[in-house]
Amino acid sequence: MKKSLIFSGSGGQGVVSAGMMTAKAAVEGGKYATFLPEYGPEQRGGSAKCTVVIDDSPVVSPLAKKCDVLVCMNELSFSKFKTQLREGGVLLLNSNRVTSEVKRDDITVISLPVDDIADEIGNPKAANIVIIGALIGATNIITEDEFLDSLKKKFASKAPAIMEMNTVALRRGIELGQKQ
Amino acid sequence: MEYTRPSCLKGSPSGFCPGCMHSLAAKIIAEAVDELGQKDNCVHVVPVGCSTLNLLYWDGDIVGAAHGRAPAVATGFKRTNPERLVFTYQGDGDLAAIGLAEIMGAANRGENFTVIFANNQTYGMTGGQMAPTTLIGQKTTTTRYGRDPKDTGYPMRMCELISTLKAPVFVARYALNSPKGINEARKGIKKAFELQLAGKGFTFIELLTNCPTNWGMTPLQTLDYMNTNTIPYFVPGVYKDKEAETK
Amino acid sequence: MSKVFMKGNEAIAEAAVRAGCRFFAGYPITPQNEIPEYLSWRLPEVGGVFVQGESEVASVNMVYGAASSGCRAMTSSSGPGISLKSEGISYLASTKLPAVVVNISRGGPGLGSIQPAQMDYLQATKAMGHGGFRVMVFAPSTLQEAVDLTYNAWDYAERDRNPVLILMDGCLGAIMELVELPEFKSADREGTKHWDLKRREGENRKARLLTPYYPEAMLEHENTMRGQLYKEWEENDVKVEEFMLDDAEYVIVAYGISARVSREAIFRLRAEGFKVGMIRPITLYPFPKKSFQNLNYDLVKGIIDIELAIPAQMRDDIALEVKDRAPVYTYGHSGGILLDDESTYNAIKKIVTGGAK
Repeated sequence: MKKSLIFSGSGGQGVVSAGMMTAKAAVEGGKYATFLPEYGPEQRGGSAKCTVVIDDSPVVSPLAKKCDVLVCMNELSFSKFKTQLREGGVLLLNSNRVTSEVKRDDITVISLPVDDIADEIGNPKAANIVIIGALIGATNIITEDEFLDSLKKKFASKAPAIMEMNTVALRRGIELGQKQ
Repeated sequence: MEYTRPSCLKGSPSGFCPGCMHSLAAKIIAEAVDELGQKDNCVHVVPVGCSTLNLLYWDGDIVGAAHGRAPAVATGFKRTNPERLVFTYQGDGDLAAIGLAEIMGAANRGENFTVIFANNQTYGMTGGQMAPTTLIGQKTTTTRYGRDPKDTGYPMRMCELISTLKAPVFVARYALNSPKGINEARKGIKKAFELQLAGKGFTFIELLTNCPTNWGMTPLQTLDYMNTNTIPYFVPGVYKDKEAETK
Repeated sequence: MSKVFMKGNEAIAEAAVRAGCRFFAGYPITPQNEIPEYLSWRLPEVGGVFVQGESEVASVNMVYGAASSGCRAMTSSSGPGISLKSEGISYLASTKLPAVVVNISRGGPGLGSIQPAQMDYLQATKAMGHGGFRVMVFAPSTLQEAVDLTYNAWDYAERDRNPVLILMDGCLGAIMELVELPEFKSADREGTKHWDLKRREGENRKARLLTPYYPEAMLEHENTMRGQLYKEWEENDVKVEEFMLDDAEYVIVAYGISARVSREAIFRLRAEGFKVGMIRPITLYPFPKKSFQNLNYDLVKGIIDIELAIPAQMRDDIALEVKDRAPVYTYGHSGGILLDDESTYNAIKKIVTGGAK
């Protein structure tokens, strides 16, 4: 089943790496995926967005106007992309940064304070991992094992402490994602 | 000792104008190649200008480059064939105008090849237009009343420019209007080739040459003109010798 | 064979290394920077050379120098830089040197936009430099195709002694996708032995001359021979995908990323009963003329050219083959605005249902 996901926020929030990690986990889990980052000309602080398409067969088009999952890490990206979420889709919000009201009742909204959660864990950079946790908790697009296996390849040997924190962040996200 | 034609020059007569120093330059380069026994190992990167005619007279591996790009072509060749003796032979329009970026880039990277720069202060092949090295007051087809620095700036001194860079190992200028100058030039070219073969880095030899046709002079007159006009502005000498500096 | 989840630009770079490319020179320009960045560390690992040139002009001429010794060499850039390289590409064609040039294309003209576009079709297929020469133009649509085309590009370049251009939009350069990487080809090949300037051990060859300059009669002869070569390309080397054409009433023509978006739309339209198919040129030059000659014009009601280019650039090549047997419609975006599945589907549907002029 083809699923398209848009990850959005501002530069530095780990939006693009969240998309890339998700796509990698899907591929390493045996699915097909494409990852498309979109950048402005500025190197820092601009808006960040990437599109991930995951499918059981090779992905036809890596571009998606309408998506099944929309991740918004800040207010600006929410206002910019909210209409691109398909009916029945899942909206994942960073409630620390997205403050305006969601005026749609045809979608599932999962809103969680990922910045606060990441701070609690002791790694503010793990906010994007928390939101991926919520994605795993709320959908079956990728599994916890797929993601952790993929993450281990990246961090386990080089930085076990980061791996540890990321695992905690992911579990917290999954819990909250399942609840909502 | 027998005086013979260097092995890198073909027997055919040269098509350069009577009294032109390009053929003289080709001869002393060929002699240096012979002295080092490098005929088969040598690659001549031929540029665009009168010097393109070397295609017809040079007996050795040749690759022809676009106008000004010889140092880039030499870079690609030498980097992939470091054992070869590689040199470019470029005129002043080719090297100091359209190819300024390429010569400075190659010199600054310290590419391990030799650039031989023939400076005759004019575009010979296209009919005698102003070159970046044309002297102040010198008449050309694009400076009818003589080069005026108000509009065209001043003649560019390449040895001086290149010797400010850190990477080049040997930078020198010779005038080909006297037997002494010719002998020194031959030695300078040989030294540059030796440094290259030893893997020392970028070497740059400037040869002050003439253009009887476009200067509107007899060959003999050009020799005097060079003494009174060219040499005082483009002073011959060794501008950089890294080996000597470190000794 | 190994499967890797890779970025388009890096996949091209790795495929080049595996094809035996051992020299790269380039100059920074978005959106192709990952190619030089990747090769700057990757080439030295395999005994190759990377040079960051002082300009596009210098870089392509460094490739010219490396190619003259038979070394497999490559340069890459995007529109503004490709224009600068066009001088060197013309000289490569003139001196008959094989090399691969990659254009990861963006919006134009001029500085244009750093975002993906397909605005360089005409430059690539009609005049990649002065002097009336042609180059084969490969236009991959997936990263696997990009890898395969790059991997084989030097075989064509060396066979024909002519540069090959890989034209891929910035979108495919930026995406990540699973690719299967081929085995390493040997870097010591004999294919260029009969003309290159390399000196091989034990070989006692005569001095050789490689020059972009020809006397008149020889140049006319060369021009004639090249004309012959381009005809042979049309006969033997066209690569094209014909997709769902058998019963097609509307035929989309698209390449690169546009073809992927179009294919998605075709699936949706087919599911709704509309008979839509696609001709996807993989070689933009030689253009797949036969695919258009073979269409059943009793059935075909329209041709739809979809490109990331305004005005559409491939349209004229299509119209030359269709010859008024069906109307040729165009749809696309430019400037760095990407095609998207929704509006592409809507645009095709409008044409198919008779709503477009």
